[in-house]
Amino acid sequence: MDRAVAMVLAGGQGERLYPLTKDRAKPAVPFGGVYRIIDFTLSNCLNSGLRRIYVLTQYRSVSLHRHVLLAWNMFNYELGEYINLVPPQRRLGELWYRGTADAIYQNVYLLQQERPEYVVVLSGDHVYKMDYGPMLKFHMEREADLTISCVEVPRKESKRFGVVEVGADGRVVGFREKPSDPKPLFGCPDRSLVSMGIYIFTTSKLVEVLAEDVRTGSEHDFGRNIVPLMVAQDRAYAYMFSGYWRDIGTVDSYHEANMELVEPEPTFGLWDEEWPVRTYRPQLPPARVAGTVVDSLLSEGCVVEGGRVVRSVLSPGVHVHRGAEVVESVLFEGVEVGPEAHVHRAVVDKEVNVPPGDVMGVDPERDRRRFKVTEDGVVVVPRGMVLR
Amino acid sequence: MGKRLLVVEDDESEGLYYKLALEREGYTVDVVDNADDALAYVKENPPDAVVLDINMPGKDGIEALGEIMAVNPELPVVINTAYSAYKDNFMTWSAVAYVVKSSDISELKEVLAKVLRG
Repeated sequence: MDRAVAMVLAGGQGERLYPLTKDRAKPAVPFGGVYRIIDFTLSNCLNSGLRRIYVLTQYRSVSLHRHVLLAWNMFNYELGEYINLVPPQRRLGELWYRGTADAIYQNVYLLQQERPEYVVVLSGDHVYKMDYGPMLKFHMEREADLTISCVEVPRKESKRFGVVEVGADGRVVGFREKPSDPKPLFGCPDRSLVSMGIYIFTTSKLVEVLAEDVRTGSEHDFGRNIVPLMVAQDRAYAYMFSGYWRDIGTVDSYHEANMELVEPEPTFGLWDEEWPVRTYRPQLPPARVAGTVVDSLLSEGCVVEGGRVVRSVLSPGVHVHRGAEVVESVLFEGVEVGPEAHVHRAVVDKEVNVPPGDVMGVDPERDRRRFKVTEDGVVVVPRGMVLR
Repeated sequence: MGKRLLVVEDDESEGLYYKLALEREGYTVDVVDNADDALAYVKENPPDAVVLDINMPGKDGIEALGEIMAVNPELPVVINTAYSAYKDNFMTWSAVAYVVKSSDISELKEVLAKVLRG
């Protein structure tokens, strides 16, 4: 791991997560009560021993910068460890990042200074647990130019991803970004192998390909341009990953991933002592419960005075008043749910007071007149919205 | 009309030498002696290729390369320097070619012919 640096792409606008991304970059969106989405990738780095990290930020990065500084200010520079936040430097012109590959290219001077042998390209908006060590070993053993971390998904879902075709020796022989007719896995017609957007590159090859790409009119995107090019001309391998992995693309996938945390036996455990997930914890008193809380995550400083909280995720300082009902919902920090209010299948952002007796998530028609409601019927209440 | 070249070279006599030698090859050649003038030239009147020195007073050729690429990424830039050490600098890798200066400029001529053939 000493021979690698991580570059975490944390600059995406996260339009499909709007309005949760109204005031914050996607990696800074709260998740699982006390975390921000980027904590999962950074925890993976820390736990994997990958401790030279650049976080490349761009849009609406104030909240993300603050969080990383508060939660992750624990690397020791004197021991060669660091986590550096890098907003666009505009060294190579006036432009913001034009694509994921351009974000790395525009920061090639960081690689020049550091001269790592390998670059691990990660995404700041995935929720998963992964040790990058075995993947790097795999990459080194095969003397690969590029290793793509891949996961199996149902074929009908694979259209959202880059679909990977692998030869017998693990070499990638085909790669198509968001294909309309995804290739099935060999011998498994209803499954496909997709890229997780996690790559290890041999540095010199990466820079060579990026420098080549920058001279073209391409979109400068890893999935659309760089990976297909390298699959065609270089040594690209697929590394199989089989654990829990979610790309938090939409409000629905965001809601669903939170709900997976409150299953009676969660598919994704936060309780692994071997693999702690780190975050910033505010100084708040313990949660106090007078009502009923079932299958839920309750953060510090929450007060459930009465009523019921079922299959929900409550961030720090949420206050649920008497007679209220919160079901299958995600409530961000400091949300108040007034007496007798009903909050069902909703994501409620910070600084929202749900007034006494208010009902959301029950009558879709009425909800649509007041809020954004997703395809799957999840109500989204944006930060600071005043409800009457 | 021959292809147009911009030579960025801070040493006056070297600049003149490149101009004469490359004009003999049928190119139309303009010479500027610093990075800022080169960038202004490229913005106003893009040539077919740029021959770029690295060690120059003020902004160096590596910085100029980044700025030229940002304005016009498809414009071929040939680095022409007395030092081979910059080859190792990732920032120079977006140039189409890297030529180490010598009194015999046949390599530069060959590279330009190849680059401009397209």
